Amino acid sequence: MNTHDALTWIAEVFEEPPGQITIETKREQILGWDSLGTLSLIAGLDERFDIHLSEKDIDGMQRVSDILDILRRNGKLEDA
Amino acid sequence: MRFILVDRIISLVPGESIVAARAIRPDEDYFRDHFPGFPVVPGVLLTEMMAQAAGKCLDAQRLPRGKAMLARIVSASFRQWVRPGDEALLHAVIVANAERYATADCKVQVGNGVVAQAKLFYSFVPTGQFAPDYRDDVLEDYLAGQAR
Repeated sequence: MNTHDALTWIAEVFEEPPGQITIETKREQILGWDSLGTLSLIAGLDERFDIHLSEKDIDGMQRVSDILDILRRNGKLEDA
Repeated sequence: MRFILVDRIISLVPGESIVAARAIRPDEDYFRDHFPGFPVVPGVLLTEMMAQAAGKCLDAQRLPRGKAMLARIVSASFRQWVRPGDEALLHAVIVANAERYATADCKVQVGNGVVAQAKLFYSFVPTGQFAPDYRDDVLEDYLAGQAR
């Protein structure tokens, strides 16, 4: 998965329009990134990528780039 | 109005699957408005029936994470009218079951037909949040019957 595809997927998870989310977007700028959004993200990472987040990972996610870092660390993101 | 939308459990594998039933009584209060002369069960109530059935399947595991609570209707479709006098069979299969969330594929069957389907997403609330005397009678009675 490349960064563009990852951003599209993240937008889907948070029910945001495609293109609305960039690498720099912060959590508080995403309406859907609330407690349910976090849960949806946890489920999505688990089910789609087989990535199981630790409590530290969950607490540490404050911006979109943190999600991309998790994907990258787990070998699911190929940087262009 | 009480909000118990499952009458009985027919079969249950905790955390995996459930078949339950709800009789649609002609005197259900909502038929007065939905709709005069053409009474049909609202889709939101069919969804809630599926949600309660799948929730009982998860709750039957009695895990420390707590009680399953519907957090998202991923998708839902309503294919045929459900009318007074019908018996709705509620089928749910748990497709993901993790510490923080679960997902279920559900359907409502009347006769031989599938009348509604839904994919549901659950979070969990610790049981300590509920009233101390809160009891899911339908689930507890079923489990007690199985233990005899």
